[in-house]
Amino acid sequence: MVALSLPSVLTGCERWPDALDPKAPEAHDIAWLIWTFTGLLGAIWLAVVIAMLIAIRGGRRVAPPAAGATPLDALALHPAGERSRTVIVGVLGGLTALTVLVLTGLSYATQRSLFAPRQEGLSILVTGKQWWWELQYEDADPSRIVETANEIHVPVNVPVTLKLEASDVIHSLWVPRLMGKEDLIPGRQNVKRVFVTQPGVYRGQCAEFCGQQHAHMGLLIVAEPMADFERWRDRQRAEAASPSSDEQQAGHDAFLKRSCVMCHQIRGTDAGGRSGPDLTHVGSRMTLAAGTLPLTRGSLAAWIVDPHGVKPGVDMPLTKLEPDELNAIAAYLESLK
Amino acid sequence: MCSGSLKALMAACAMGALLGACQREERDQRPSPVASETREQVALTTNSAGPSPPEIRVSGKGAKYEASAYDQSQGKKYYAWFNCNGCHSNGGGGSGPPLMDDRWIYGGSIENIVQTIREGRPNGMPSFRGKIPDEQIWQIAAYVRSMSGNTSSDSAPQRNDSMHPHPSESRTPPSPPVNGGTVAPSPSR
Amino acid sequence: MRLARLSALLISVALAGPVFAQSPTVTPPLSAAPKDDGQWTMPAKNFANTRYSELNEINLSNVANLRPEFTFSLGVNRGQESPAVMAGNTLYMVSPYPNTLYALDLTKPGAPMKWRYDPKPEQASQGVACCDVVNRGPTVADGKVFMSTLDGSIIAVDAEKGTMIWRTKIADINMGETVTMAPFVAKGKVFVGNSGGEYGVRGWIQALDANTGKPVWKAFSTGPDKEVLIGPDFKPFYDADKGKDLGISTWPPDAWKHGGGTVWGWVAYDPDLNLLYNGVGNPGPWNSAQRPGDNKWTNSVFARDIDTGQARWAYQATPHDLFDWDGINESILLDITWKGQPRKVLVRPERNGHLYVIDRATGEVLSAEAYAYTNTTTGVDLKTGRLQRVGDKEPSVGKVLRDVCPTAPGAKDWNPSSFSSSTGLLYIPHNNLCMDWESQETNYIAGTPFVGAEVRMKPGPGGHMGEVTAWNILEGKPAWVIKERFPVWSGALSTAGDLVFYGDMEGWFKAVNAKTGEVVWQFKTGSGIIGQPTTYRGPDGRQYVAILSGVGGWSGAIVSGDLDPRDGTAALGFVNAMRDLKNATTAGGMLYVFRLP
Repeated sequence: MVALSLPSVLTGCERWPDALDPKAPEAHDIAWLIWTFTGLLGAIWLAVVIAMLIAIRGGRRVAPPAAGATPLDALALHPAGERSRTVIVGVLGGLTALTVLVLTGLSYATQRSLFAPRQEGLSILVTGKQWWWELQYEDADPSRIVETANEIHVPVNVPVTLKLEASDVIHSLWVPRLMGKEDLIPGRQNVKRVFVTQPGVYRGQCAEFCGQQHAHMGLLIVAEPMADFERWRDRQRAEAASPSSDEQQAGHDAFLKRSCVMCHQIRGTDAGGRSGPDLTHVGSRMTLAAGTLPLTRGSLAAWIVDPHGVKPGVDMPLTKLEPDELNAIAAYLESLK
Repeated sequence: MCSGSLKALMAACAMGALLGACQREERDQRPSPVASETREQVALTTNSAGPSPPEIRVSGKGAKYEASAYDQSQGKKYYAWFNCNGCHSNGGGGSGPPLMDDRWIYGGSIENIVQTIREGRPNGMPSFRGKIPDEQIWQIAAYVRSMSGNTSSDSAPQRNDSMHPHPSESRTPPSPPVNGGTVAPSPSR
Repeated sequence: MRLARLSALLISVALAGPVFAQSPTVTPPLSAAPKDDGQWTMPAKNFANTRYSELNEINLSNVANLRPEFTFSLGVNRGQESPAVMAGNTLYMVSPYPNTLYALDLTKPGAPMKWRYDPKPEQASQGVACCDVVNRGPTVADGKVFMSTLDGSIIAVDAEKGTMIWRTKIADINMGETVTMAPFVAKGKVFVGNSGGEYGVRGWIQALDANTGKPVWKAFSTGPDKEVLIGPDFKPFYDADKGKDLGISTWPPDAWKHGGGTVWGWVAYDPDLNLLYNGVGNPGPWNSAQRPGDNKWTNSVFARDIDTGQARWAYQATPHDLFDWDGINESILLDITWKGQPRKVLVRPERNGHLYVIDRATGEVLSAEAYAYTNTTTGVDLKTGRLQRVGDKEPSVGKVLRDVCPTAPGAKDWNPSSFSSSTGLLYIPHNNLCMDWESQETNYIAGTPFVGAEVRMKPGPGGHMGEVTAWNILEGKPAWVIKERFPVWSGALSTAGDLVFYGDMEGWFKAVNAKTGEVVWQFKTGSGIIGQPTTYRGPDGRQYVAILSGVGGWSGAIVSGDLDPRDGTAALGFVNAMRDLKNATTAGGMLYVFRLP
């Protein structure tokens, strides 16, 4: 009962990664491939099973041995039967080879189109790190570059090139509804194309075991109409909003006074760290800690006060803060829309 | 029969040893969120008024960091993140003094090094109090100790992934600290 | 170009005539390099930066008899980059941190101390000085001695009494700023910039009133045009330098705020054009992947109205710097005949290995020939002014790029060259080094280094690390080259006695024949030399030559900072090349003054 109701619950949630509910041509190709494989091979399997059942039920109608025949005669060749069997085996063998060839061909063709080197539209540099995603929206004009983390905003119906790198170990990017897996490998750059046709929020995940918190290395792809995307990008490019309340101001000051300033960047302030995610507009993101927590003031505070309770082994250290400092920093970060 | 059970016993022993080797050290990945800053009492000199040497009270927790490969490798990572390498390079020094040699202006024990990082020193070493949490200061200090070969070679970091400025910390011969930094500069060591 | 070659050929024929007669086609402008009065009041000798003295009592025929007349210990055994500056009857010099200013009375035998001034800079400032705690000297003007301190104060001291007249704090060590340059004094103003290109500072040059120390103008090297002092008068020669707010738009958002562009080297001044010339240092961090774009106005040269600071033109010699090639080297002002036309030029031996001849009225690059070995660039496109890079010599994060020449200190670092009016040659003390480089991602943390690169230097082709090149500017090629075992980190001095003086890092102070490069005299001082030689006529009417001995600086940090030679990346990679220096010299801090018997 539960097992039955679960998929329906999950399909209601667009973020649930589902390769069979494609929202991008690439994912369509892959889904089509999956269905073709499944259908064809399922049909063959069914045919074989049926043939086998028939064979079992029908038994073997063999004429009783003629009188005086030695047991060896049962094994004697019957030229006519032999010929027909050879033909059958030959045909079946040919069909098998053809199936394998066709499927290989289809797979190859799909792969070719998936991995074809194309450089067009928007280009985003994605760097995998233990255990989060660093994002840089490239631009020929360097002052229009945007840096953010863990949430890839893309416009719909525009080809997007993801340049995939890693700075520590091998990671892999997989957004099942949009694309197949592609590895992020230290010391080289892989290129992946995404073309999203339907606005929505799609969940992705690291698909190559990369250490203790591999399972907590998620990301979101937010596909939106071009106008919305441009608005988002302009906002991301801007400096961080200055504190608008005393509490936020206190949080701003505490952020610069405490360990936060050693690893994180908030553009517009003197915080310029790059070891941790850019927090200039952290309040605009939906999740925290690479898709691990929903971004709320409470989860911000929880994450800061005990990151190892949420993601044991993470590099974010335990920062000892006074309770009012913690409160203020959470308020400040939440305000960075 | 008897030899068979002996073989089984030996196999079990070997298996036990192998599995034991897997569990080299216990990583303490979740320091207590309510613990406070460590307060070690160290001296900067071996001299003290009165007949006894300076009074030193240390918690002894430094030994845990000096024996832990995890803590030292974390320390090595933070050493680069927090720009320690900008002044001290990979131990050879630059605008800051070398860390891989045996001369320690402000003391070479891990407790001394923790103090130096946390409080800063007057000739240019900044104070990192409040900027680097206590746990990470200890990890960095343990890594600094490994640069001069003063942690065990099986816990000290192995060679770098890319540029090798010198043999890895685990292969650096130990040079026990000599306190005080005013020794006349020596020729190539 | 062909015409240039032809005229250069004609000139070289003229030069090859009866010994290098003074070339009429290359002379410093008289207004910037007035006739020699026998004094040496500013480190570069004059506004044209020639470091050439018309004194010729000491010359090729008698230099062999040169002997020390007196010595003086500065009491600090760190890198001595200060010159001994002479004005009136007094010799002035500044020690490395703690920046004590000494005045020696030249009227008395043995030049006893007249007074000393202790500015007492903050001790912590030593922690944000990238490359030894050096100071590049005092400047004397209008009865005042102007000096800078490591912690960012500019001080005017009464030249006679040694009392402070004013003191202005202009840099903040908590943001990584220091001051190491010699104040440049002209037209009633003191010009000084900050150091700290390895600490994520934002570079600037400032003018202070010489009488009061009050700020007059301040021009940043990055950021909006308003703060760079770029206004309607700004007419750069090349298209790449034209546009609005390039100090912002050639950087990723906000990166210009910590983007370096410090001004810590030499300044020149042309009274005829009323223009001040200053070079700008490297962008930060060294890791170029963190700052895509041209990164203006780092590694550029500015011509500014000396009264208002408003930029007249700028030229970026090394856009999007990959290897810490600061543009702070000296601009030597010369008037030349170029392709038959008289041109007012400035000549710059850049760290990128090219010797730029730039029209100092317009900013047009007339030529840029390589004066040192380079495998990273192939020259400069004179149509666009763009440095032409070799494609595969570009670093990326996490990869070791091998055999990059020249290195981070460049083909030539701060150590100034000298132009001799008697031979018409430019004497360039420089490096012959290559390096391996690995970029790394780095955090900007105020007051700590902001570098992001592991470097390992090594000797360049030939196995030697230093060179002194006598350069023929019109021909664009060397007249002679001296090879030195260690990098030549001292400045050069040329005199009308057809001599060129410089020091090596082992401690030899040398005089060479200005025409041939033959060593005609040398004296072994107590420590390696990285200072600036000067010469003056003493109160007794005799010619003296002065040099500070005391190894250090970036190249000598292995000795002055007693670094561990096992780590090749120490001192930002210089230790790898300088391991032997510890066996060749020890730290020191001593003035040596020479005279003929």
